[in-house]
Amino acid sequence: MFDASDFIDEAIEKVREEIDGKAVVATSGGVDSAVAAVIVSRAIGDNLLSVYVDTGLMRKGEKKQVASMLEDLDVNYEIVDAKDEFFEALKGVLDPEDKRMVIGGKFIKIFERKAKEIGAEYLVQGTIAPDWIESGGDLRDTIKSHHNVGALPEGMELKLVEPLRDLYKDEVRKVGRELGVTVSERQPFPGPALAIRILGEVTPEAAETARDACAIVEEEIEKSAENGDMELPWQYFAGLLPIRSVGVRGDIRAYGYTIFIRAVQSVDGMTASYSRIPHEVLDDISIRITNELPQVNRVVYDITNKPPGTIEWE
Amino acid sequence: MKVFVVDNGGQWTHREWRVLRYLDVETKIVPNTTPLEELEVDGLVLSGGAPRVGLDADMMGNNGEYLEKAGFPILGICAGHQFMAIHFGGEAGPSGIPEFGRTQIEVDEEDELFEGLPKAFQGWESHNDEVTVLPEDFIGLAHSNNCKCQAMKYLKRPIYGVQFHPEVEHTEYGNDIFKNFLNVCEENR
Repeated sequence: MFDASDFIDEAIEKVREEIDGKAVVATSGGVDSAVAAVIVSRAIGDNLLSVYVDTGLMRKGEKKQVASMLEDLDVNYEIVDAKDEFFEALKGVLDPEDKRMVIGGKFIKIFERKAKEIGAEYLVQGTIAPDWIESGGDLRDTIKSHHNVGALPEGMELKLVEPLRDLYKDEVRKVGRELGVTVSERQPFPGPALAIRILGEVTPEAAETARDACAIVEEEIEKSAENGDMELPWQYFAGLLPIRSVGVRGDIRAYGYTIFIRAVQSVDGMTASYSRIPHEVLDDISIRITNELPQVNRVVYDITNKPPGTIEWE
Repeated sequence: MKVFVVDNGGQWTHREWRVLRYLDVETKIVPNTTPLEELEVDGLVLSGGAPRVGLDADMMGNNGEYLEKAGFPILGICAGHQFMAIHFGGEAGPSGIPEFGRTQIEVDEEDELFEGLPKAFQGWESHNDEVTVLPEDFIGLAHSNNCKCQAMKYLKRPIYGVQFHPEVEHTEYGNDIFKNFLNVCEENR
């Protein structure tokens, strides 16, 4: 069986051997990077700087939440505002793999900058098993280049430290609980963030739409789960499709975008089945999205398992 | 007990390692180019993989040597299973209807591998190819609606192949299948 407490002891020991000097940890607000940060900070203390990059592609209220999480974790941290930089780099980028490469490269540039500032040679990442498995290499096919593995730029100088490489999400959560990390139960959120929930070009307007739709899906599903109307899915979110369709709003023809809802049951993210969300809940979500977001006039629900689908669309 | 996983580039190779670890077996993922002499184990799992074994068997490294000469039990999964069929003189090729995700597995022969399992259960799949002709001295153990050979067994040595993926969470009784395989390894020690 998997013993979280043994894992923590061994991981701290290993990190102590691996890191000589200062390190920067890439923090996203999710459970993986938070757990990695705590393990490394237990190993090297104040020699660790936690960096959160505000890409402009985060969920609603994320920055505030991350700041309070980092306070709780009691690690040194810095928040870098890189919104303009990311949107600029993503201009005209349509292909999902290209997007991932652009984002992975941008992240590393920022971390390298920060590392240089404090004289760190190491970059700690919360990479977990599905990240490197799906990124491919050698015999393994590339399903998607995760920003922290397959999308790392060539010639990067920072040495990587990845204490969670052999764990899956359920195991990281166990470790997180053992360490008292408050975000342990948070649903997974991809590193490239809303960029891969916006099919087609990523613009500030598209990000706003995807962010609002995601927030509505999260609110409605969490409310229904709390009321006991459904089981809380493993992951649940919305994405924006660049497909427009005809509608009618207030006796006037509308031609608006499409939002898809995705919710799945999984343990480790390597296989998933779509969640059986009650129609009443889907209905509430659909009404809120089409009423609150005038640019959207159609909502669809994704009923694909993994495989053959992946959980995220890009 | 020591059971290693031979990596043929599958998405779920590491899951096989995890399941074995959770069953308290000493385990490790090794490249499929590892020489047989270096494998001091009580059993071997041949993972699935990106290689389409009918088309690029040369990417399957030393799998053939393991199957030919190993003195320990072997469980081939997906590409490992298909390669096994070809190696022993059977055939594997593109599926008429490939399966992805949930499929009903129907057990035809319980044998040691499906011991204690129901006659039908949900298996999770992800394959473009399948075993189309069983090799001589092999028997089929299970099938699904769209795939005749979901599991097979060599009659001369403890060698098994499965097309579905007992290592993933969504497959029912996957752990039991691994436990049954470990029992075979135990008996063989």
